[in-house]
Amino acid sequence: MPKPQFVYVTYIETTPEKLWEALTSSEFTRQYWFGAEVNSDWKVGSPFALLLDGEVTDSGEILEADPPRRLSYSFKHHKYEELRGEPTSRVVFTIEPFGSLVRLTVLHDGFVEGGKYLGAVSNGWPAILSQLKSLLETGKLLGIPRAALNKGFDVK
Amino acid sequence: MSKPEYVYVTYIETTADTLWRALTDGDLTERYWFGNRIASDWTPGSAYRFTNAGSPTVEGEVIVFDPVRKLAHSWIDRKPEAAGESASRVTFDLEPRGKVVKLTVTHDELGEDGRTRRSISGGWPMVLSNLKSLLETGHVIEIAAPSCSAKDAA
Repeated sequence: MPKPQFVYVTYIETTPEKLWEALTSSEFTRQYWFGAEVNSDWKVGSPFALLLDGEVTDSGEILEADPPRRLSYSFKHHKYEELRGEPTSRVVFTIEPFGSLVRLTVLHDGFVEGGKYLGAVSNGWPAILSQLKSLLETGKLLGIPRAALNKGFDVK
Repeated sequence: MSKPEYVYVTYIETTADTLWRALTDGDLTERYWFGNRIASDWTPGSAYRFTNAGSPTVEGEVIVFDPVRKLAHSWIDRKPEAAGESASRVTFDLEPRGKVVKLTVTHDELGEDGRTRRSISGGWPMVLSNLKSLLETGHVIEIAAPSCSAKDAA
């Protein structure tokens, strides 16, 4: 039986350096990550936090940082009561040059069987990564309603 | 536990009408689907077929044709390397969300041996990344055949 995990692959017309910056700069993430800001010095072992309107929604630790190829952090949710009991998960970004493009693979794992967190994450990442691709390719955002992020557990 | 399935969601700045046309018009699929042209009379129960330079690549039967919301068809890979794979099913769900469309592609009824799943898991992100770029920027991104471009990039 495979372990519960979320994997998403997207091809973006950009460079690995720009994509790395987009993943690690809060000015960038605020635009495509529905207002969320990343905060870290991006050194292995350093703390990582995701903030929304100044409030820490998720936090963890940098597990791998190999710019502009691989970034990984642990990820523990704090905002929603329904998800606070879930264990600390892990996010891994793999950036690979692909001809004139970049292939981005996002792996999010460390979920419990039957938990709600995987559903929330599975709803959120496609919206975030669709915005990221559009921002890097067209310079503008899609304007996906923020509700797209929460639907995984709110509406059930 | 349900049978193996593959799901990919993407949000595209377009209209449901334009996205529907992109999924069902051979002139458009040829541009973002690596030269594969789709053709059918789009009646449930009818045959449809993808051809590439005139040779059939994928074919099957139209199962659901509900413009501009839902399209489903069976999926029989006719490429020689896919010989012996069983028929699977592809469903496209289009949901307008403000000025974007949420597209959900579900490829299910995949064989237990994992062969079809392995081949389509690599293909869908490429096809759908290309489709999104084409509709948003007016041009496709240059996704080359994986084997050559991996070498070029190294």
